[in-house]
Amino acid sequence: MPKQNYLCIQRSQPKQPGKGQAPSPAQMEEMYAKFNAWKEKFQENIVDMGGKLGAGKIVTAEGATDGPFVEAKEVIGGYMIVSAESLEEAVEVARKSPGVWMPGSSVEVRVISTP
Amino acid sequence: MTTPKLVEHFFRHEYGRLVAMLSRRVGVQHLEAVEDAVQSALMKALEAWTMSGLPDNPSAWVFRVAHNDLMGELRQRTNRGRILEQYAHEAIDTPEYGAECLMAGEVRDDLLRMLFVCCDKAIPVESQLVFALKTLCGFGIREIALRLFTSEANVYKRLGRARSRLRKHPPRLGELTGEQHSSRLPAVNKILYVLFTEGYLSSHAEMAIRRELCDEAIRLAAILAEHPLGQVPETQALLALMHLHVARMTARQDASGGLLLLEEQDRTLWDRQRIQVGLEWLARSAQGDGFSRYHAEAGIAAEHCLAPSLQETRWERVVDCYALLERVAPSPIHKLNRAVAVAEWQGPAAGLAVLEGFEPPTWLAGSYLWAAVLADLHRRCGNGHRAKRYQDAALKSAPTQAQQELLQRRLGGLARTQHDVSKTQVRKYHKGDLT
Repeated sequence: MPKQNYLCIQRSQPKQPGKGQAPSPAQMEEMYAKFNAWKEKFQENIVDMGGKLGAGKIVTAEGATDGPFVEAKEVIGGYMIVSAESLEEAVEVARKSPGVWMPGSSVEVRVISTP
Repeated sequence: MTTPKLVEHFFRHEYGRLVAMLSRRVGVQHLEAVEDAVQSALMKALEAWTMSGLPDNPSAWVFRVAHNDLMGELRQRTNRGRILEQYAHEAIDTPEYGAECLMAGEVRDDLLRMLFVCCDKAIPVESQLVFALKTLCGFGIREIALRLFTSEANVYKRLGRARSRLRKHPPRLGELTGEQHSSRLPAVNKILYVLFTEGYLSSHAEMAIRRELCDEAIRLAAILAEHPLGQVPETQALLALMHLHVARMTARQDASGGLLLLEEQDRTLWDRQRIQVGLEWLARSAQGDGFSRYHAEAGIAAEHCLAPSLQETRWERVVDCYALLERVAPSPIHKLNRAVAVAEWQGPAAGLAVLEGFEPPTWLAGSYLWAAVLADLHRRCGNGHRAKRYQDAALKSAPTQAQQELLQRRLGGLARTQHDVSKTQVRKYHKGDLT
């Protein structure tokens, strides 16, 4: 089966001030190691590591407005593109990614259909 | 694609380095702003580096980010004018992490300066310890609580005490020379010793986390001993002591984490290379006429490291060292240890004779250590009845299961002669007279 690209959209709950401790340097070491292990394991699948998504606007025929980011229960944190033979395989890559480990985080996986 | 690796404990140690470097630039009174800036720079590094790989010089990268963050924060504060004026030549002109501030020597000096800063007589030792673990070793609050077997609230409280003292009376410690620093050296040695013993002597079963405390103590002590300030016999003996203990650490536990008696330990597991390093530091420390408790303790550790077997241990030398230790650092624990060593040397009756007429303080009399040693000596003298009484008391008051099992093996008579009940157990209380 030919490989197809999948868009992975990472979502998380907006940070609530004062809730939970920031990760300690030792925890950062652990996160860094886990992330790199994951990246190495799935290097064949990762097309584009993507990046973080910051502030933006929604553009419509009426003009551009600030997006509904403020009221949203979840914020889109980042994206990446992976290639896989099936949706299941792409889901597996996403499921193992450190992006879903934080409580309240999720990754949405969508096939990018190209004619 | 292979991912380039960061040096081990990069984030934790970089935290300590950056906090030390930046607080020297802006003053310890701004410590909290410094710590915030460093924390956030490391977070940014984590995000950026996992996405796009490591920069050429990771240390320079985080320094620049933390530095800019901190300057931005301080600029916003009301007293900005004063701070900026005061530190303009240093702080503002170094947005680039140039070769001059990357010099290992300067980073080392900054770390040491921070160590001296935290050894302020007005700060209780337990607060100094927590402060050092946080700012110099980069441990988080929860990690410190876990390692010191205390609550997070308690860690916050101790940390707060140190911080508020430093905020109100920021030390004016300039260059690392002179009287100011020399007078704090004993306190610095002591905090390193406490840090080490927290790791080495704790009865906690989790080996890895104890080992980390020892490694941190050795890292800092080595930095100190390499510096002209630390080239004194006490510091060298302290470093020797640490190496000689850690060399035997792996052998102290069996595969399931249970404690092993000295005679049960596989001596081939002892780290010969480390023993060698320890002995070299011990040789260097043997100069001048100062004899410290570190010398005595390193001497005892060296005797154990050098003995090919328990039977061939030069007990007379161990006894001598304990006697010297009692003299420089009087403690009933040291007396108890000496009694055990004498028993190995000249027999159990001679060991009991050391304790003859000695009234232990209540904290010792009620402890399993006292009971265990007496049970052992009486059993070997054939005083079955008294041995049984002490044995029951010892088993009842052993604080952890690992220790209970150790005592059962020891006092149950399965092992014939054993010194380790005192070596690993009695020494636990060394920290009792420090903290």
